[in-house]
Amino acid sequence: MSKPLPQLKIMNRLHVLRAERRMTQEQLAKEVGVTRATIIAIEGGGYNPSLELAFRIARYFGADINTIFSIEEETK
Amino acid sequence: MKKLDSMLLKSFLYGLPVVIVLAVLSYVYSLGVVNNANAYFNLLNSFAGFVFALWMTLSLYLSFRLIISGPFRDQVMARLTFIRERDEREAILTGKAARTTFLTSLAILIFLFCLSCFQVSVYRLPPEKAVNGKTGIVSLGIGFNLLEHSKQDKPKEIIEKKDIFSYTGLPLSSTTVILILIIWQIISYNYSMRRLTKVIIR
Repeated sequence: MSKPLPQLKIMNRLHVLRAERRMTQEQLAKEVGVTRATIIAIEGGGYNPSLELAFRIARYFGADINTIFSIEEETK
Repeated sequence: MKKLDSMLLKSFLYGLPVVIVLAVLSYVYSLGVVNNANAYFNLLNSFAGFVFALWMTLSLYLSFRLIISGPFRDQVMARLTFIRERDEREAILTGKAARTTFLTSLAILIFLFCLSCFQVSVYRLPPEKAVNGKTGIVSLGIGFNLLEHSKQDKPKEIIEKKDIFSYTGLPLSSTTVILILIIWQIISYNYSMRRLTKVIIR
């Protein structure tokens, strides 16, 4: 039997970047073409954005995708 | 085609209250409450029949279009089931809710199929027809008919028996089953969507 894969959690610094630019969730949502609920879900860690959306967010902030999204192994 | 469909759909929806009113009037007419010789009422009744025939034709055409046309189906059914897909997260939620709805509907269909096939009968035989001295009989069976048969086709029961309990097939009409499934699909989808939205947005 193969070894069970570790649970990974995608972390993000979206709220930090947003706060630095003094942006509301609504404004960011409009800029990247999603709803405010989606931004809330991403910031809360309840929803992992698609690659396309992640790149759109990174492009909007003019940052590398790795500086916004990172991966962590979930501890039980 | 899109404009024609939209126009026909509006005619169908706006025609619904008219059809209901005309149906009530026709019912009143059939009861003989109003004098049959009343020319205006006769005319109205003829008009009611004409409108109803048109509305029925329209409903058949529109339901057929729903089956074959993807964009028309999306336009109508999305409104009927309150589907809102404004971004990728909502599209994922729709998929998850649709999956739940599909699986629960399938489970209900399997349950109804079992109920419609199973036949259970508990009865008491007269003492002279006892089997191994026992008069209480439990009869189990499975019945599957591809087509509906009229009750006259059923063979007459020869054995004299006193039924205690008898269950042969689903006691619901096919119209009721179809209506239950339509309502279930809408309720299940909306409930799943609401639940998923609560889980994902924290």
